[in-house]
Amino acid sequence: MGKSKGRPFMEVLASALHEDYRFPILELFAFLYVLGTFALSSAGTFAYSQTSLTDEAVAYQFTTSILSVPLLIFVILIFKNIAYGLGSDLEKGIIQTYFSYPLKRRSILTAKLLSALGVSIVLFLVFQISALYIVAPDIVLPQLGTVLLTYVANFSYPLLIAGILLLLTFVIRRGGITLVVGIFLYLALSIASGIVSFFAYATESTLILQVFSFLSPGTVLGAYYSSALNPLTAFWQPTLSQVVLSMVGSYAIVAVVFFIGYYYFSRRLNL
Amino acid sequence: MAIVVAENLSKSYGSVKAVNGLNLTLNEGTITGLIGPNGAGKTTTIKMILGLLKPDSGKVEVFGQNPWDNPDIRPLIGVVHEKAFFPSHQKAQDYLERACRIFGVLESRALEVLNLVDLQDARNRSINALSAGMLQKFSIAHALIHSPRLVIADEMTANLDPQARSSLFEVVLRLHKEEGTTFLMSSHILPELSRVCDSVAIVNQGTVWAAGKLSDLYEKYATGIVRISTDEPEKLAAEVKRLAYVKKVETDIRGISVQVQTNKEESLYEDASKMARKIKAKITGIETGSASIDELYKRVVGIKKERTG
Repeated sequence: MGKSKGRPFMEVLASALHEDYRFPILELFAFLYVLGTFALSSAGTFAYSQTSLTDEAVAYQFTTSILSVPLLIFVILIFKNIAYGLGSDLEKGIIQTYFSYPLKRRSILTAKLLSALGVSIVLFLVFQISALYIVAPDIVLPQLGTVLLTYVANFSYPLLIAGILLLLTFVIRRGGITLVVGIFLYLALSIASGIVSFFAYATESTLILQVFSFLSPGTVLGAYYSSALNPLTAFWQPTLSQVVLSMVGSYAIVAVVFFIGYYYFSRRLNL
Repeated sequence: MAIVVAENLSKSYGSVKAVNGLNLTLNEGTITGLIGPNGAGKTTTIKMILGLLKPDSGKVEVFGQNPWDNPDIRPLIGVVHEKAFFPSHQKAQDYLERACRIFGVLESRALEVLNLVDLQDARNRSINALSAGMLQKFSIAHALIHSPRLVIADEMTANLDPQARSSLFEVVLRLHKEEGTTFLMSSHILPELSRVCDSVAIVNQGTVWAAGKLSDLYEKYATGIVRISTDEPEKLAAEVKRLAYVKKVETDIRGISVQVQTNKEESLYEDASKMARKIKAKITGIETGSASIDELYKRVVGIKKERTG
C-alpha cells in the first residue's frame, strides 16, 4: 500500500483558495477592510485624543472602534466561505471529489477552513496592524498588552459564529439555505445579546453578564476598561482575572464547537 | 485475488432500506457490472465501498482495508461518480494537473488522459463551461489520472452520446488488457455493459440476487432460451405459446425470446418454422444460448420473484 508522493493537502488548499477568493472577491474584501479600518482609525484618533480617559482605556476604546466594521466584514466573509462555499461544496459533491484523494477527512476540512478563515484573518490583521501603527502609534505602542487583549477578546465571538455556521452547514448541506438560516441565526444572536444586556442592566444582574461574557468576552473587557463610558459599570466592575477567565472560557467553547465539527466531518458525515 | 469484499452490508435512509444484507466479492483483473433497476441500491453500495457512506451493519474491505477515511487505498482507486462535480472556476487541464500533483504523477499525464477521453480540445475551458457529456468525460479522465488498479464507476456513461460511449468502452477494454485494471461499473442500461463485462452482480431490492462470471450465469439462468428474429413477432408468439414444452415467450419489435424445457430447442426450431409458414411470417434468424444480458437479468429477477412468492 504505497503512500502518495504528492502533496494533496497543499493542492486541496490551493484549490479551495482559488474558489473562495476568485476575482474580484479578494480585491473587494481587501478594499472593504482598508476602507473600514483606516476610515475608523482616523476618526478614532481624533475622538480619543479629546477624552480624559486613562491611557489603557484610550487604547482599548481606539482599538475597539477600528475593530467594529472590519469584524463585521470578517463575519460576512465567513458567511460567504463557510455557509455558502462549504455548503455548496457539500451540496454539489465537490467534497466527494476531495474524498477520492489520499487525504484524511480532517485534513480536507482543515484545508477548507484555512482557506475560509485563514486568509480572512490574515487580511484583517494586516490592515489592522498597519492602521494601528500608521495612524496612532502614540496610543498603541505604549499599550501593546491592552491592544492585544482587545483583539483576543473581540475575536472569539466571530470565531464562535464560524463554528456554529460550520455545524449548521454540515446539517443543512445546501449553500443557499445555510446562508439564509445562518444570517437569521446571527441576527437572532445579536438581538438576544441586546436583550440580555438590557435585562442585566435593568435587573443589575452581574451573573447574567458573567455568563454572557463566556460567549462574547468583549463585554467583560469593555466593562473592565471603560468605567466612565460603559453604563454596565455602574454595578459591574470586573477584575482582570474575571476578564481572563471569560476569554479562556469563550475560546474553550469555540474549541468545543470546532471539535464537534471535526468529529462529525471525520466520523459521521455520510455523503 | 479479491480486492473488494462486502459482507452482509446494510444501509437505510430513514425507513427505506437501500441496501439489505448485500454480499459482493470483486476479483482483481475483472470487469464487473453492477446491474439493477433504479433504486436497487447500486449507488449506495458503491458509496459504501468508497468509504463515503458508513454501513449500518456488515463490513466492507477494499484492498484488505476499511475504506472509511483511509487515504492509503485512495491512490489505488479511480472514481467516477454518477453526478460529477469539481471546483468549477478552474480550467480543465489546470485541475487535472493539480490532481497529478495530488497523486504525485507527472503533470504531462493530464494531457494524456484528456486525449484518452477525446477532450483535448476543451483543455483550456473552465470546468463550469463543460457540457454534461464533457463533464462526464472529464470525470473519467480525472479517475484515470493516477493509473489506478481499480476503477469504480457509477453510471459512467450517463450523459454520453453513443459514439462517446463506444469509444469509452474501448478505453476500458484497453486499460483492462494492457494494464490489468479492474473495473466495477454500475448501470441500468444493460446492453452496453454486456459489451465489456466479464462478470456481473445483479442487484435488486438492496441485495445481490446473482453474481459471478457472465458465462456461468448464462449457463445457470439463461439456458433453454431461443431467440427467433421475425417480421411478425406478435403473431408468431401467439402460435408458439401453444406448444406444450414452451415455458415463456417474450416479444419485442424484432422478434421473440422463447424459454423452453431442457433439450427442446431443436423441437422449437422445427415447430416455429412450420408455424411461421402457416401465418406467413418471415424468420430471419434463430439463435440458441445467446441470451442477452437483458434476458439474463429478467430470468434472474423472474426466478427470484417466483421463489419469494
